[in-house]
Amino acid sequence: MREKRYLALLFIVSVLGVLFTSAMGVGAETVTLTLGSWRVDDVEQVNKLLDAFHQSHPNIHIRFNPTNPPDYNAVLRTQLTGGTGPDLMYVRSFKVGQDLFTEGYLEPLTGMQELEENYSEGSRDAWSLNDVPFAVPFMAVSHGVYYNVELFAKHNLQIPETWEELLVAAETLQTAGIIPFANGSKDEWDMNEIVFMNLLPNFIGGREARQEYETGEVPFSDEKMVAAFQALKDLAPYLPQGQEGVSYYDAQQLFLLGRAAMFFGGSWDVAFFVSSDPDFEWSVFATPAPVGRRTIVTFHPDAGIGLNSASKFKEAGYTFLTWLTTVEAAQILADEIPGFYPLNKNSIQIKNKYANDFYALSEGKDVDARFVWPELQSGEPDGYLLTQTAALAVVKGSMTPKEAADYLQTGLENWFAPTQKFKK
Amino acid sequence: MAQRAFSVSERTKRRILIDQWFLFTIPALVIYVWFMAFPLFNSMRLSFYTGTGLVPSKFVGLQNYLELFTNPLFKDRLICALKNTFILFAICMGIQNTLGLMFANILSGRLKGHSVYRTIIFLPATMSVLVTGFLWKLILNPHWGAVNQLLTHLGFERFSGYPWLGKPETAMIMVGLVTAWQWVGIPTMIFLAGFQGIAEDIHEAASIDGASATQIFWRIKLPLLVPVIGLVSILTFVGNFNAFDIVFAMTNARGAPEYSTDIMGTLFYRIGIAGQHPVAQPNMGIGASIATVIFFILFLGVSLWLFTRERSGLG
Repeated sequence: MREKRYLALLFIVSVLGVLFTSAMGVGAETVTLTLGSWRVDDVEQVNKLLDAFHQSHPNIHIRFNPTNPPDYNAVLRTQLTGGTGPDLMYVRSFKVGQDLFTEGYLEPLTGMQELEENYSEGSRDAWSLNDVPFAVPFMAVSHGVYYNVELFAKHNLQIPETWEELLVAAETLQTAGIIPFANGSKDEWDMNEIVFMNLLPNFIGGREARQEYETGEVPFSDEKMVAAFQALKDLAPYLPQGQEGVSYYDAQQLFLLGRAAMFFGGSWDVAFFVSSDPDFEWSVFATPAPVGRRTIVTFHPDAGIGLNSASKFKEAGYTFLTWLTTVEAAQILADEIPGFYPLNKNSIQIKNKYANDFYALSEGKDVDARFVWPELQSGEPDGYLLTQTAALAVVKGSMTPKEAADYLQTGLENWFAPTQKFKK
Repeated sequence: MAQRAFSVSERTKRRILIDQWFLFTIPALVIYVWFMAFPLFNSMRLSFYTGTGLVPSKFVGLQNYLELFTNPLFKDRLICALKNTFILFAICMGIQNTLGLMFANILSGRLKGHSVYRTIIFLPATMSVLVTGFLWKLILNPHWGAVNQLLTHLGFERFSGYPWLGKPETAMIMVGLVTAWQWVGIPTMIFLAGFQGIAEDIHEAASIDGASATQIFWRIKLPLLVPVIGLVSILTFVGNFNAFDIVFAMTNARGAPEYSTDIMGTLFYRIGIAGQHPVAQPNMGIGASIATVIFFILFLGVSLWLFTRERSGLG
């Protein structure tokens, strides 16, 4: 139903867009650019952002034209090869974006001073290759643990500060007949992406620690990695009964219905929980680190916006990208799309209470992208597939944490040069 | 004389008609060539190319097939998908078609209200596969699914919370059973037509000779139905090797859990069209070579069927 409404809206917007552009065409001063994206859910919100831009730049018109998320990469690539690509486009972080840049579809943004002024190195990294930026960092998502406020109060539970406390809380809940964590592994990706990669930095460390693996200083099978898989194993008894059959959607429902007290999730779930049951009382806490380690939040750069190198309106596109780096643009994004955060490092106010709570978890803490995204996706078998297979096997009990870490290491040895020196 | 001239021209007319029969096949032929044969051969051509764009453009000869059959990344998945597709075929033959034969036999008798039963049996076949898949996913859900609630109610406590679609041991069987449940109406209808085509007098003669209903079924009806059984089998075979939607609806295009429901259709889709999450970069060359492998398996199966049919002079 919702999708239908958005489709209808999309249709109206595009018809209006066409009418608008043909009407403006008479003036001949205005140029119209298209903005490709995979965020079909955000048409209304992004248009508000674009409207603000149009007001200050009446000569440039930007038309938002999103594609169904699973098809975006393929469709975009087809359009770019065929010469019908959008002038501006959402660019995925790291590998997928870098590929497009290497193949020459994206304009390098070398001279854009504002990028260095307004974004941290970590954010810029996600959309650069050899220090050449190719997209403006646009939005990020955060990871944490959702909890049911009522159930926590009823069982006298405090927000866990350490991983050990989290497991004690889980035990208490399970004894009381409540499912501690709603997550399951039927859809497979969620166990990897939002449970394992969510807890991972707490066991291995943040960005610097990740780079130690990526530069070959330490093997992927070191004891920190084993500890991370061990944490997943410790979590397994507290997942729902028959977790192999619980999908991501089922998990959200188990949490919403109050049958499970906690849910490993991401900030993108905020809008879903708020709209599904506005009276449901929940909050979030940062996935805690074990005793003696610092808590690090998985704060993942998700979307940047880049400029098509074959666009006829590069100058106008460049103007828009520069405007995107302003606090004004970041503020509109923060207000309009709760749960997706602007990467601008200047202070931004997030009005939505839940989105703000979620954002607060990462403030003052070290953050890092999802572990495999930056470097481990450009070969076969890719790092994502390896951690996914290993994580699922650990949860199921068919691999020990040590075997899982070794599996990751030997898999990457197939193609990832820096780690090949550890080959046995 | 006049009479003779007339008959000659009549014969010539008939001659022309006989010689020009192929003119009538042209409309169908054009549609077939344009929409079936051309894409098929084009896809075979693509299997010799590689590249990432709209159309793979770099000619690599047999490299894609070499990769597919030797690189463990593809080889293991191909063998696994073949195995699972055969499991699906076995379930459809063993359960769907056997039940279809049974239902048809019952329906062809003088059963009261048989049109009601016929409708009920055929009803699932009219539903969208995505709807069926979604419904059964709910029915088989470990937490609120009807199957587990029923089993627990009947005293099978150990099935409470059992993830039917989450265990590699049961997932493919469940998907197969749901496929059988949905399509059982089709073989039923075909067999029913077959039974109704058997002349009544053979039936009567046999019962006058003192044959029991079981004997009539095994000795008379079944042998006469062999060509129809062959047809249904080949249709099932083709359907299973092209199946994709039911797995997509019930588990996912990765053939979760642990590739235990990965069939030829999902393997092709994942590698050739969608790419793997999260990079999602399809490898169209390998995809086209998988499609070609599927085509040759189907070609072999269908040829074998046609060959035996011609040889035995049945049908």
